[in-house]
Amino acid sequence: MGIAAIDVGAIAQAASTGLLLGGIYALSALGLSLVLGVMRLVNLVHGEVTVLGAYLGLLALSTFGLDPLLALPLVFVVVGLAALPVHRLVLAPLAGRGEEAALLTTFALAVIMQNLYIQWFTGDTRAITRPYSRSTIEVLGLRLPGVYLMGFAISLGCTIAVYALMTRSGFGRRLRAGAEDPMAAGVVGVDVGRVHAQTFALGAGLAAMGGVLLGLAFSFTPTSGTAFLLVGFAIVVVGGLGSVAGTFIGGTMLGVLQSLGALMFGDGYRGFIGLVLFLLVLALRPNGLFGRTAAT
Amino acid sequence: MTSSPPLVLDDPATADRRRSPLGRELAILAAVAACLFLMPYVVDDYALQVGYLILQLAALATAWNLLAGYTGLVSLGSAAFVGIGTYTMAMLDERAAPVWFAIIAAGVVAAVFAAVVSPAMFRLRGLYFTIGTLALAEALRMWMVNARTFNGAAGIYLTGRPPAFYQLYWLVLVAAIGATAVVVVILRRPLALRLNAVRDDEDVAAEMGVRVFRAKLVAFAVSGSLMGIIGAVQALNTRVVVPNGAFGLTWTVNIVLVALIGGLGTRTGPWIGAVFAILLQESLRGYPEIHLAITGAVLLLVIRFAPSGIGGAMADGRRRLARVWRTRS
Amino acid sequence: MNGADLTGPVVEVRGLTRRFGGVVAVSNLDLDVQRGEVLGVIGPNGAGKSTLVGLISGALAPTAGRITLNRRDITGDSPATRARLGIGRTHQTPRPFEEMTVLENLLLAADAVSRPRSAAQRHKDCTEILGDTGLARDAATRAGQLTLLQRKRLELARALALEPCLIMLDEIGAGLVEAETTELIELVRSMRDHVDATLVIEHVMEVITECCDRTVVLDLGTMIADGPTQQVLADPAVAAVYLGTSASSPSDEKPPVDPTPVSPVGHVVGRLVGTDAATTTPLLTLRDVVVDYGHLRALHGVDLEVNPGECVALLGSNGSGKTTVASAIAGTVALQSGQILFDGEELAGRRPDQISHRGVSLCIEGRRIFATLSVEENLQVAAGDVPRHVIRERLDAVYEIFPILAERRHRSGTAMSGGQQQLLAVARALMSSPKLVVFDEISLGLSPIAVDQLYQTLEVVIASGVASILVEQHIDRGLALASRAYVLSNGRVALSGAASEVRDDPALSALYVGASNTNGGSP
Repeated sequence: MGIAAIDVGAIAQAASTGLLLGGIYALSALGLSLVLGVMRLVNLVHGEVTVLGAYLGLLALSTFGLDPLLALPLVFVVVGLAALPVHRLVLAPLAGRGEEAALLTTFALAVIMQNLYIQWFTGDTRAITRPYSRSTIEVLGLRLPGVYLMGFAISLGCTIAVYALMTRSGFGRRLRAGAEDPMAAGVVGVDVGRVHAQTFALGAGLAAMGGVLLGLAFSFTPTSGTAFLLVGFAIVVVGGLGSVAGTFIGGTMLGVLQSLGALMFGDGYRGFIGLVLFLLVLALRPNGLFGRTAAT
Repeated sequence: MTSSPPLVLDDPATADRRRSPLGRELAILAAVAACLFLMPYVVDDYALQVGYLILQLAALATAWNLLAGYTGLVSLGSAAFVGIGTYTMAMLDERAAPVWFAIIAAGVVAAVFAAVVSPAMFRLRGLYFTIGTLALAEALRMWMVNARTFNGAAGIYLTGRPPAFYQLYWLVLVAAIGATAVVVVILRRPLALRLNAVRDDEDVAAEMGVRVFRAKLVAFAVSGSLMGIIGAVQALNTRVVVPNGAFGLTWTVNIVLVALIGGLGTRTGPWIGAVFAILLQESLRGYPEIHLAITGAVLLLVIRFAPSGIGGAMADGRRRLARVWRTRS
Repeated sequence: MNGADLTGPVVEVRGLTRRFGGVVAVSNLDLDVQRGEVLGVIGPNGAGKSTLVGLISGALAPTAGRITLNRRDITGDSPATRARLGIGRTHQTPRPFEEMTVLENLLLAADAVSRPRSAAQRHKDCTEILGDTGLARDAATRAGQLTLLQRKRLELARALALEPCLIMLDEIGAGLVEAETTELIELVRSMRDHVDATLVIEHVMEVITECCDRTVVLDLGTMIADGPTQQVLADPAVAAVYLGTSASSPSDEKPPVDPTPVSPVGHVVGRLVGTDAATTTPLLTLRDVVVDYGHLRALHGVDLEVNPGECVALLGSNGSGKTTVASAIAGTVALQSGQILFDGEELAGRRPDQISHRGVSLCIEGRRIFATLSVEENLQVAAGDVPRHVIRERLDAVYEIFPILAERRHRSGTAMSGGQQQLLAVARALMSSPKLVVFDEISLGLSPIAVDQLYQTLEVVIASGVASILVEQHIDRGLALASRAYVLSNGRVALSGAASEVRDDPALSALYVGASNTNGGSP
């Protein structure tokens, strides 16, 4: 394990690239955070939905010639709408049955979807490449990939939008009430089932958008879902359940640490570092660094 | 109710606990073992291979059941234990250790691993535990791929004299029967009540004198060690161990699918699930993705409509039949 | 127990402190539990009583301080160790192991006893305890299927199976009526021979006066009185903080707010709620309502009516079905059969939020305020699908009626005392501009002084003309405010009529006494 000589420039480069990357991860993780926080659902199919976004971005380009960044709103809407019947048919009927049943159902969904991807798209490694994929922008002596910058900006914008939604709108109030105490929320007039369905759809849409951005940043295969899922969970746990801002910050932190780890130990350890961090935070502070304790 | 209800609402195990005497159950098990033992003399190679796969899955699912069904610890980290057993066998094979020793060692190493990670893992409750075990297993796989110590992605070749396939078949048979026997015996000891209490309400269990950590550790270590043993036998089968194969998520997926479809918290469930899964797999030989997708869909249906799994549904049916029979006569 | 000092106090607590974030639940507490005594612990909500139990049982770790059991320092010991040393407890809400049978629950606890016993002997001992606690018939029943009273008995039996030297009872008297309380008192008294010391946390004064030699009073985590029970209960300082003026019934006293509709506050409430005094047809009708909880039939065909603008009391012993009726009306439990007609429409089968939108508000048992929402957000979310300016108007009205909520509008909904949270719950129920409000056991868990304040407010609300159902454990409080009353017993309406008639009906007390006799025989 050779540790590179302390090269401040390289470290700064890695850290800033990692920051941007982490911001991109955070978009998908936000979807996971909402679903986990509101519906108490450990959504194991989250990774597959993220990958779906990446494949859709690819399809938008190859079939319609549409730039994936422009296709983002479309992907959000399509996946969000598609998630509604899935929730209604598969998850909603399990309402009274406890967390395990729902978790294992999402597990089953993940297995189904992952294998369908292999069927439809073959196991080949893909990536979304655009003319601007290789461009870099100089900022303060650092060479930052243009794609990462754009992704980061989009992710940040979406996060702010979601935050405003949660804190200032009636929908956000209903969501938070339903998350804390579904029964009491129903009694005061909140249609909790509808709130859950909408949250699930919103979460799926965000995950898919995150997937498009990730598809631009990385190569992916049908089995990338697991890695995305774990990264997403790592971010949610680090950033704290139920905290929109925390998820974004957690994402950037994870991104930085992953990149620094890759710099020090080799690129193969990128994912490993993230998981170790995740396990540490889980063991030491299960409510994350910023999260509120949701009612247990 | 403070905790969410367990997946199996009418726990057949609870009812079973008060039923047949231990001797009778072990006798049934022995009879089954004897029949299956004779298979290599009666059936062809292909059937034997199918039998091997079924028994392997049954053993793994039984081990997982002990942890998830009876203790309530839903783990997605099974691949870690299988892989550890696989690699232990490979390493000891390199050092020309006798096979029986290596198999036992695999079980021991896996149990030690369980003990080592327990303090951290058991701090996690419920869903966090589940995702934590997944993270652990994946982290281990990534490390094995990258670390030079175990030859990384290239893997290790077994060079010792390979046992005949029917001997491997007998090994997994012993593992499967043994695992089931362990479960059957445990069900009759105070340990079963303690595991049940931990699953039901961990905090109150502690207030009632249950050493929660110890109980969880026993379940975790026994379960992990069984999986390690299976992994070791698998190494003998494949003759080469690579990290993505040994620690691959496919193990976890298959185990969970099988255990749930068969019926969590039952003794026959893992066997039924294993038979179902392997038969499906063999009938769709050319289309591995389709068979897994179908199995996933079956699991969806099982969770929704038959939460005690096929095994549980059958047990329910038997009980209902018995009740009808009794009221008739 | 080896090495244990069996001469001094059973439990010594020194400098015990426990913080939850910024809140100090228990502060520098010193306490001794003497051998052979039954010690009562009382105090208003949030005084730290349950926290104390958790600290002694080991479920909670102290921020500072020491605890000893028979002079052995147990401060660092896990709950399991303490259980094995001989500390047993019950929980405020019973938590038996639902998937195991009653007997298995005890066998598990018995397993922790260090005295060597054969399995057969252990079985026998546990069966005996079941007999002593009135659960002999239910030994093979799954704990998940027990009624509340049986669960309390099971928790007690399970704690006894530990063969404890100290047993702690956490509000075990809550939710019981007269006869059940008497049974419980007998049980606690009979336990004296089996345990070295008992700690009784209670709001139900009768349990304290009948069982406890000595009582301590906690308030905001500190001890403010300690002495023989009668003396402590007569202490004016204790009365000021806890007992309030509850001795007399509220209708005898002049409330600070004028309840007649011409009062400004009364007007405000009138603006808020939907009043419909003109019509003569009943606003709410329950016809032959049957509700099942699994195998248990909770309601056996209940008939009930509420007319516009009237207040109806719904009384009955614990387990009689009062809350089930409230839940059925609000839609949180499903009907097996029967009809619930409100304003001409069928409510049965609708979701709770749909029922809320139709003008029926439930002030749910246990308050259930949203902690992650501010006071104002709690109110806003309950307003329903109305334009923003309407929500604003209603908020203004609510803040006039409940100034304390206006003061704390941006704080978390639960950053207030229990009594204030209950006011918030009432206000929240009014935000949807209901025609009918169901108040479900709103005095539960509140200190007597808080209940006084609450009922004064309630009088104003009721006088405004909104129809209401008052589900109450306390006969007097319920009948004081209502014009009509129904008394439930075992899921059926046993008595009904004008409030004054019901109050004077000799059958009333018989119902409360008689009902509990069918809940399993006396121990």
